[in-house]
Amino acid sequence: MNTTNNDAHERARKLIVLTGSEAASGGDPGQLSSTAWLAAHLETCASCRAFAGNVGETIRGLRAIPIAAERNLVSTTQIRVRRRAVELQREREHLRLVWVSCTAVTLCALLSTFALWRGFEWLGERAQLASSVWQVGFVVFCVMPALVAAILLLAKDKHIADHTGSYQG
Amino acid sequence: MAQESTEIARGLRRRDPDLLDRLIEQYQHRLLRYLLYLTGRRELAEDLFQETWVRVLERGHQFSDKYAFSTWLFAVARNLAIDHMRRKQPASLDGLLNDGETPFDVPATGRPSAFDATLQREQNEQIAAGMEHLPAEYREALVLRFQEGMSLEEIASVTCVPLGTVKSRIYRGLSALEPWLKGAPL
Repeated sequence: MNTTNNDAHERARKLIVLTGSEAASGGDPGQLSSTAWLAAHLETCASCRAFAGNVGETIRGLRAIPIAAERNLVSTTQIRVRRRAVELQREREHLRLVWVSCTAVTLCALLSTFALWRGFEWLGERAQLASSVWQVGFVVFCVMPALVAAILLLAKDKHIADHTGSYQG
Repeated sequence: MAQESTEIARGLRRRDPDLLDRLIEQYQHRLLRYLLYLTGRRELAEDLFQETWVRVLERGHQFSDKYAFSTWLFAVARNLAIDHMRRKQPASLDGLLNDGETPFDVPATGRPSAFDATLQREQNEQIAAGMEHLPAEYREALVLRFQEGMSLEEIASVTCVPLGTVKSRIYRGLSALEPWLKGAPL
């Protein structure tokens, strides 16, 4: 019997807390039966009525606590957001430029490789060379700029290292 | 509301600065209040307020018009607050419990004239003090429910916890606030 009473109080208190504000604003039709049960319980139970009163006051108190953003904070935030928007726009434009450049470079590379291939083929035929010879020539021609650059860089590093070494020595 | 959310989603995808200005104006008090209760520190709440709007600008394309904008906004703010606390110390929302820094401010209500206003102010102070002593997750649930007027489902969505947990947090939070309303020492 006592347990049943405790359960009823517990249920009532949960309903008060969870539906209190909804009941005030019209409520959910699915909860109407619970609301009716709660109303009936509150009529007979003084402690739950007092609890409901306290909860109501707490909720009203919570809603009444005035916390406002200062004008300065709002304007600073708006300025910061606008500045970031400009940065993002600029980044997007840069990215677009990079994409366009990459596409253009890829297209140029494909076209020039094709033209060079045909050029080497034509030269090979004119000079009556075996196809493997002009093909090797084509590969060497393509790789040559990178090779030269690598050799020059290595030589430069070595030169700097020698120079630094002679100073230290 | 669906129409409004659609318009906001479209504007956010375009990163429309005028729309963002309007949203900042519209949600300023609600967002700051939420962050203030979540963090318990005005300075941090103001920093996170700014960060939240920058994040809204950057991730605006992720907002879906299926949800209310406020639900998404509070979820963004909450994630930033948790990130901040994780950077400071690896923890969850529990890390947002007050650590002895500046307590909540309850500013003057504006027109203090009658006895009722004084009583009301005292009661507000008591509740604010009570909120300060609540665990952050209870505080958050109470703010979202009773100050923001969110539904239980919306709160579950913002806080990423099951509906039952939201109910229990609200119940426990309000129960824990009750003694403060009755005049617990400030």
